[in-house]
Amino acid sequence: MYSFNKKSISRIAMLALLAAAPLFSACNNDDDDPTPDDDNEQITTLTYTLTPAGGGTPVSATYRDLDGDGGAAPVIGSLTLAANTTYTGVLTLLDETKIPVVNTSVEILEEADEHLFWFESTPANLVTVTRTDRDKNNLQIGLQTSLVTTAAATGELKITLRHQPGTKNGTFAPGDTDVEVKFNTTVR
Amino acid sequence: MSFRFPGAPGAGRPGLWLLLLLTLSTVRLGWAQAPTACALSLSGRVADHESRADLPGATVVVLETQQATETDAAGNFHFHLCAGLYHVRVSFLGYQSETAELRLERAVVRNFQLHPDAVALRGATVRGERVLAPTQPTATLSGQALQQTRGQALGEALQKISGVTVIQTGPSIFKPMIHGLHSNRLTILNNGVRQEGQQWGQEHGPEIDPFIASRLTVVKGAASVRYGSDAIGGVVLVEPKPLRDSAGTGGELNLVGMSNNGLGAASGTVEGNVRRLPALSWRVQGTAKRAGTFRAPGYYLKNSGFQEYDFSAAAGWRKETYGLEVFYSQFNTKIGILPAAHVGSPTDLQLAIARDQPLKTSGFSYDVERAYQQVRHDVAKLTGFVETGSAGRLTATVAQQTDFRDEYDKFRPRNDNLASLNKPELSYTNRTSTAELLWEHRRRHNLTGSVGVAGTYQFNRYANGSRQFIPFYTNTAVGAFWLEKWQRNKWLLEAGLRLDHRNLQVKRGDRDSSGVYFVDRRQFQYTTPAASLGATFDPTTHLTLNLATGLTRRAPAANERFSDGVHNAQYELGYDLVPGNGPLVPETALNVGLTATWHDNPRLNGEITVYQTRITDFIYQVPILPAVVTIRGALISWQYQQTDATFRGVDVAGTYQLAPRWLLGAKGSIVRARDTRQDQWQIFMPADRAEVSLRYDFSNQPATHFRQSYVQLGGYAVARQTRVPDNYAERDYKLPPAGYALLGLEAGTTIHWGRLPLDISVAGSNLLNTRYRDYLNRYRYFTDEMGRNVTLRVRVPLELSRASSSGT
Repeated sequence: MYSFNKKSISRIAMLALLAAAPLFSACNNDDDDPTPDDDNEQITTLTYTLTPAGGGTPVSATYRDLDGDGGAAPVIGSLTLAANTTYTGVLTLLDETKIPVVNTSVEILEEADEHLFWFESTPANLVTVTRTDRDKNNLQIGLQTSLVTTAAATGELKITLRHQPGTKNGTFAPGDTDVEVKFNTTVR
Repeated sequence: MSFRFPGAPGAGRPGLWLLLLLTLSTVRLGWAQAPTACALSLSGRVADHESRADLPGATVVVLETQQATETDAAGNFHFHLCAGLYHVRVSFLGYQSETAELRLERAVVRNFQLHPDAVALRGATVRGERVLAPTQPTATLSGQALQQTRGQALGEALQKISGVTVIQTGPSIFKPMIHGLHSNRLTILNNGVRQEGQQWGQEHGPEIDPFIASRLTVVKGAASVRYGSDAIGGVVLVEPKPLRDSAGTGGELNLVGMSNNGLGAASGTVEGNVRRLPALSWRVQGTAKRAGTFRAPGYYLKNSGFQEYDFSAAAGWRKETYGLEVFYSQFNTKIGILPAAHVGSPTDLQLAIARDQPLKTSGFSYDVERAYQQVRHDVAKLTGFVETGSAGRLTATVAQQTDFRDEYDKFRPRNDNLASLNKPELSYTNRTSTAELLWEHRRRHNLTGSVGVAGTYQFNRYANGSRQFIPFYTNTAVGAFWLEKWQRNKWLLEAGLRLDHRNLQVKRGDRDSSGVYFVDRRQFQYTTPAASLGATFDPTTHLTLNLATGLTRRAPAANERFSDGVHNAQYELGYDLVPGNGPLVPETALNVGLTATWHDNPRLNGEITVYQTRITDFIYQVPILPAVVTIRGALISWQYQQTDATFRGVDVAGTYQLAPRWLLGAKGSIVRARDTRQDQWQIFMPADRAEVSLRYDFSNQPATHFRQSYVQLGGYAVARQTRVPDNYAERDYKLPPAGYALLGLEAGTTIHWGRLPLDISVAGSNLLNTRYRDYLNRYRYFTDEMGRNVTLRVRVPLELSRASSSGT
């Protein structure tokens, strides 16, 4: 009852072939695997190590998030310091997702004229942090610090790394935040 | 050859009535009454030139008086006029309009015989999708209504349709939402090709240039049988004009300027038909758009500018019994991302959310800085049809589309060598090949229908060095469907069935808690059915009733399961990766919608739709509280959840002719969505909204150069969303914002500049510069919406080689 002539059958065949074409051709190069994103910079770990100026056992606190953003929550340590003491502080930053582990603090030191660490304690008189290192423009960096405690108190110490390419002027404002970490801090 | 409305082959009535009504905004209905002093009768009959069949429902307009009427069931029309010289225009969908000059001194009978507009006719029948949606409530934007949205993004323009809202990310990214459903539950067809952009982000607008369309159609409600399981919420059809088939070269130029953000857009089309090869037609089209910083009342939204450059080309070869068409389009955009979301600690995040306006604002600039998105979308399509003798028509479509999405973070890499490469932090490629074979059979025993098979192969990758957000995946889907319509007298019944098989393979890189990298491979297979049943009944010539039901199962997509990471300063997590969750299961949706359309009345016309959609295992996103903390600070964070939900709602749209030339319009929509598993309201649903407009159409004075002039005053109001989950302060970062009302005013005219009819309009939106935030804008946590804006639009039709006869 439906009439198909030869010509239309050949056209139908052509259309059908056309429709099926991508199913044959599309299945290439899809057996590759995702690889670790080595070009993508991460900071997984920040450690603030404080050594009493008069000698003694160093104290340190670490922020560590090995699986990157999201996933398991970061592990955040805390600082317990002695009152009326001066400490020499050193910051170490690592990317522990890379093999070998990347020491980000060395990179920061190499580009010190683009970076500034900012230290802020709450309450403000909990500890006093002074940056002791300087870049080639004689602006402070903050990888090396001196920390002074006075009376016993509790609060927190916020450490912020500002990335300020071409705009560093010694203040907080320019650039973006690369790291912001808070440690609960007790002085006793 | 008789014209057949695509929605209802054969008689074509119900669908046509519906369409006519829905395009009311473009077709002005006056009525054929006149002062008794002038009672000269002008009457006649409108028929098809070829078949001599009557054409009921054709529009007859007396241009001088703007009196308009529709022909009755026998194709007759009737006016009463004063003596004088008149121009009468007769138009009917699918036919070339005709204008006749008449001198009226006594009663006159003038018959019209319209020529089928081969372009529209063929265009209508080639496209499978238009054939099959008559028993669904649809709404269309075309003609002047579409012109009034030129320069806007696709999602933004669709908001003109009642029941359609948007999910926004900042001022320039719009994702359409129909009846509360969006993203993976809406199918967008771009020139017949299912848009497979990277739907995985709520801040990913559809990668489509709206200038490509001469018509935007929204199918409200499930249309899964025809379009696949991702059409639970509805379908958006972006349809270009069919290729030109009369010899000659023509075109159109559109220019748009906006005051708020300095947006300038230019879009041009040139198309032609080769005189010596009448089968060959072609078209090229291009758009350039650039916008600077958007302005909220009182401040600039920093880094909110964007640029967009698009082009497309098509060529067709068409004979009586077969045809072939190729189409290629490219969409390019670069969109700035507001820096307001970049904050530090959770405390800073709270402060930023509590702030009245963002800490960092800026001046005006066209520059787009980091953070921004750079997106390119290519579509290539080949489609052909063959008339299969007396049996019907076979259509095949193959298409390949590739979506390139690069997202640049605000932060530059620390390493200067890396930074100088200026690589995106996220770089994704998604390639989709689709094919469809459709056979539409001719009418037999009141039955028309179609059978089709469709296949999709999709391949998603990210570049080396890109951060993982969506894993590598490969998605293969094969589906078959069958739709039949039975039509007799006042009844149209439709039933359809579909079966899809989907195979999703995912390869995801991850690190264990000690930081060791591994690849997690998974494979999922789903077979999902869909069924639909619909009926349309015309009890009178002024009322159409429609019932549509659908049952659909939708397999979860890769992003809903496995998104993981930060992009554009927000963190998102897929369902399967939430600790303690098993794998997502498919959604099952049962959709019922009832629509009553009151049409072709002299004064009151309108439509009301009530619907209910029940979705078991509904997949949706909720904020994670407290926010996820990264080494850079806290981020607005989201994760997927699954529950049972019921959506109920009403859409209303209507017009009332207050007096000759005064048209009152109103629209409104209400959605009520319940999470029935937890017995509470569903999160992130559109608030109740209403729109009222008053329009005055000036009469066309023969002596002036101005035609079709109008002024329209409009008000748009949105209530505060109060139907939110319990303990809302613990579920979202901010409570729903207050309701708002916006005032708009628009005026337009057609100026005859020599032989060129220029359409010019000026539209002001948010005229009172109201400061407001919308619940469904993801940046409502930080910023207000756009302030006052005045838009100038100019449309220039071009007839480059042959004089136009249609007079439009």
